Amino acid sequence: MQQPDTTTTFQHQSALAAYCRTGKMTHIPGVNRKNVSYYRRLVSNVVNDTLENAYPLTFELLSKKEWKNTVDDFLSKHPCHSPQVWYMPKEFYAYLIEKQHPILIKYPVLKDLLWFEWIEIELFMMEDRVVGYRQIGNSLEDKLVLNPELAMLLFRYPVHLKNPLQIIEKDKSDYYVVAHRDKEGEVKFNELSPAMFRVVEYLAGEALTLPQLLGRFESEYQLALSMADRDMVAGFIAKAIEQQLLLGFIN
Amino acid sequence: MVGIGYRKDFASEFLGNTALRPEFIEVAPENWIGVGGFWKKQFRRALEKYPLFTHGLSLSVGSPDELDFEFLSKVKTFLAETGARIYSEHLSYAKCDNAHLYDLLPIPFTAEAVKHVAGRIRTVQDVLERQIAIEIVSYYTPVAPELSEIEFINAIITEANCGLLLDVNNVYVNSFNHGYDAKAFLKQLPMDKVSYIHMAGHLQVSDTLIIDTHGEAIVDPVYELFDFAMQQLGRDVPVLLERDFNIPEMGELQQEMDKLKSIKNKAIKVQPYAAA
Repeated sequence: MQQPDTTTTFQHQSALAAYCRTGKMTHIPGVNRKNVSYYRRLVSNVVNDTLENAYPLTFELLSKKEWKNTVDDFLSKHPCHSPQVWYMPKEFYAYLIEKQHPILIKYPVLKDLLWFEWIEIELFMMEDRVVGYRQIGNSLEDKLVLNPELAMLLFRYPVHLKNPLQIIEKDKSDYYVVAHRDKEGEVKFNELSPAMFRVVEYLAGEALTLPQLLGRFESEYQLALSMADRDMVAGFIAKAIEQQLLLGFIN
Repeated sequence: MVGIGYRKDFASEFLGNTALRPEFIEVAPENWIGVGGFWKKQFRRALEKYPLFTHGLSLSVGSPDELDFEFLSKVKTFLAETGARIYSEHLSYAKCDNAHLYDLLPIPFTAEAVKHVAGRIRTVQDVLERQIAIEIVSYYTPVAPELSEIEFINAIITEANCGLLLDVNNVYVNSFNHGYDAKAFLKQLPMDKVSYIHMAGHLQVSDTLIIDTHGEAIVDPVYELFDFAMQQLGRDVPVLLERDFNIPEMGELQQEMDKLKSIKNKAIKVQPYAAA
């Protein structure tokens, strides 16, 4: 739809919205200077409260001043695009990453921590993804069906294991983590070995039988798996079914 | 009918016992569109038991920005999938300069805004293929007004040919904040357009300002104004109790709903004699 050119009414609306985001007031006729501050407070509170609820560990990690400054910076400089307020925290994460925000430099763990906290929300809230499968099957002959409500994560810091306040530079490593939502709606994070992480990646691409999985692994890495290795993968598959990371089987 | 705003804060308790017995529930589509898992299961359980009314937050019919047709399409799908009986929105704006603010800002009471907003409401109704109800919002400051509040609202309702969501608490809050007679204001509204009523509590923060918090119980003067509004209306319309914060025991909410129903029924019964 074609919008009219900027008008006086629109200019006043824009001025009020800008004030709510930045705290900087320009002249708007008829405005009660004392009462208008409530709008700034209300907008700021909604954004702050939503982010605090979404990122409780980050809120705990940062000083009050750092948290406030970061949230204020986001509110004033980033135009929130989502009409759904529960989705707005993802924009906060994306904003800090895109701007390479200084707070990420002060807290190297923060990038992983924000993503860890957001993924829990996203998986908990995400729309149901329905796939066909049956619970009874034989992994030697039937293809394994991966839970589609999952996220595959590579962290540099163990944000899924330790309180971020206790994470130190020596903890820096590669952490392969798979998060999934179970049938009760609970989100679970599991750290895997790089090899098992790769197995899950195969299954995210397509459903495979256990022999197909092992064959693909051997082919990619040009090696022959020992019986112990094969038992380990089979054990992982059994545990993954138990945890609902794998839902079941399909022909 | 008297209903309750269905909130995640008390969803489990609400569904788990019979202390709260609304005749319908209301949700904001924004809070449920694209949501699955635990909350969707809970929501489905609620929908199996109660008719659904909906009350939008983010469509921003008063915004200078272009309408978000992608979001509007999602709302339409949501209304169809849930069988929602009513879709209402606020006479305010929550998005400007392509940025959502997640709060309801007051539209300047100008002829220019009337034309713009009424056109947008008509567009929304065309897309949704249903008439919507527009809520009179509470406001704490006028913004560059050229018209009075009542002139602005009535012009919008007439030009948009939409329903009116009468939030009695908002009328009370506005009458206090801006120094006018709430009953006189109600008398000037097109009561034949009222399709839905909201009731809620508020918080007085100073001698001259009340904030519409939805975090307190309804106060007696607002019940009295509701009684007056029902007598003016003279017919039954759905009434919603809104409670978003400081959620009390379910029994306390039920008592508030019982009181609303009692006042409503009494006012409607009295009306034929009063009219005669």
